[in-house]
Amino acid sequence: MARFAIIVPPFTGHVNPTLSLGSELLRRGHEVGWISLDPALQHRLPAGGILLQTGGGRSSPEQQENDAYLDKITSKSVYGIDSIKFLYEDVLIPLNRYMYADIRQQLLQFVPDMVITDHQLFAGAVAARQLQIPYATSVTAPAAINVMEDLPGVHEWEEKQVVALQQELGWPGDQSLDCSDVLTFVFTSQLFFGTMQLPPHFRFVGPVIQHRKTAAAFDWERFHRTPHPRILVSIGTTFDHAHKRLFFARVVEAFGGMALTVVVVSDPGLFETVPDNFIIQKMVPQLELLPHLQAVVCHGGHNTVCETLSHGLPLVVIPIAYDQSHVAGRVARTGAGLRLNFNRFKAHHLRDAVMEVLQQEQFREAAEQICSSFEAAGGVSAAAGHLEALLTTKQDPVAGRGKMQPAGKGS
Amino acid sequence: MDTVTINQPAAAAIFDLLKQFITEVIGEEFAEEMDIRPSSSFTKDLEMDSIEIVAFSEKVKAHFGAHIDFTGWLSGMDLDQLINLNLNDIIHYIQQCR
Repeated sequence: MARFAIIVPPFTGHVNPTLSLGSELLRRGHEVGWISLDPALQHRLPAGGILLQTGGGRSSPEQQENDAYLDKITSKSVYGIDSIKFLYEDVLIPLNRYMYADIRQQLLQFVPDMVITDHQLFAGAVAARQLQIPYATSVTAPAAINVMEDLPGVHEWEEKQVVALQQELGWPGDQSLDCSDVLTFVFTSQLFFGTMQLPPHFRFVGPVIQHRKTAAAFDWERFHRTPHPRILVSIGTTFDHAHKRLFFARVVEAFGGMALTVVVVSDPGLFETVPDNFIIQKMVPQLELLPHLQAVVCHGGHNTVCETLSHGLPLVVIPIAYDQSHVAGRVARTGAGLRLNFNRFKAHHLRDAVMEVLQQEQFREAAEQICSSFEAAGGVSAAAGHLEALLTTKQDPVAGRGKMQPAGKGS
Repeated sequence: MDTVTINQPAAAAIFDLLKQFITEVIGEEFAEEMDIRPSSSFTKDLEMDSIEIVAFSEKVKAHFGAHIDFTGWLSGMDLDQLINLNLNDIIHYIQQCR
């Protein structure tokens, strides 16, 4: 039995896979604590999971600063490559700087055998290194890795921001610690990720969506009476309301009154009119809904895309910012769906694209192929196995330091 | 490769070629509605996202091939330069290489 500390940023898509992974570790008799800024995480943790909250016990101006990170990422209008600059300069760097001392404190108190930190929470990696605790990395947005190949200048810039912060936090050297050099989980399959070859300590374990609590209420009786085909429209938890209003107006124009059912994840207040064939809810039990759907329209958040593909469903992806353009590019490249440009598409483009993925078999077939590659990747059980293997082969934390150290021997 | 000429093509000819690549990437229907000029920036003015910019640069590479090190040139740019990249930058670079 071992003790794991999972460090997460306050972003749903980055937290969700760790809930499945942590739940599997708990099932195997390990202890698991989550280090997070978000007190609401308590309600979503699997039974037995411990919340190690950071940011508590601070003065109120600092508490306000904490809330500001959550607000910032959900309220700013960002688009395209520009959004990467915003993500690092205005969100990730301040967030890591803010969380660092508390992460370190929590690790000192919890004394885990191993840390699993998010690839965007490099402060977690710095703290683990300084305390000589071995760490693995959870890459929940793998398209961030593809950027190395597609736009090396962007990647270099990102690394520079990360390294500068590491140095500020007292970790010398110019190597970015954002991905562990002994075990880095990539929550997708190589087929969906693309042809770029990664070192062997990058483990493609597939998306992990098991053992997740769902709290969202849903009128299943009404849903089961609705006509086929049924589609889900979701553009994620981030992005400001102005963006969303414009987007949803086009969704209504595209599908209002048509012979299909549209479930939309949104604050209903963002809709001026609600067509009869629409079900609009702020939260839906997405994983439970997917088996009853025929296609999904989304912004290209990695989790929603992978959850959809895990059910063998085709997609229409309309990326807005961050890594979503790359995720959308992968969907299109693998044939599992179509992509539209958020700023340019009109209602009829969306309607045509959805009809195309619904009617032409090849989209569904490609999605099913990716689904098979996900199943073959091993999921949480493979991921937990890698962690356990690392614990037995890496008792000496210093062994994790060598850049050339062969990784994950136990697989 | 009928559009590749041995002589240095005028800026206007390069611009037409780049505009054609943009049209191929984003689709004719959308390109027609846009005001594509030499001063247009890819991110702000043309609202191209990173995958579209990558697809565009692949077309430039495929067309000019070994004549220019377009990838190398693009790789040397930092994020701000990439965000502000416009057609004129590429036109000047191509002319410089010839």
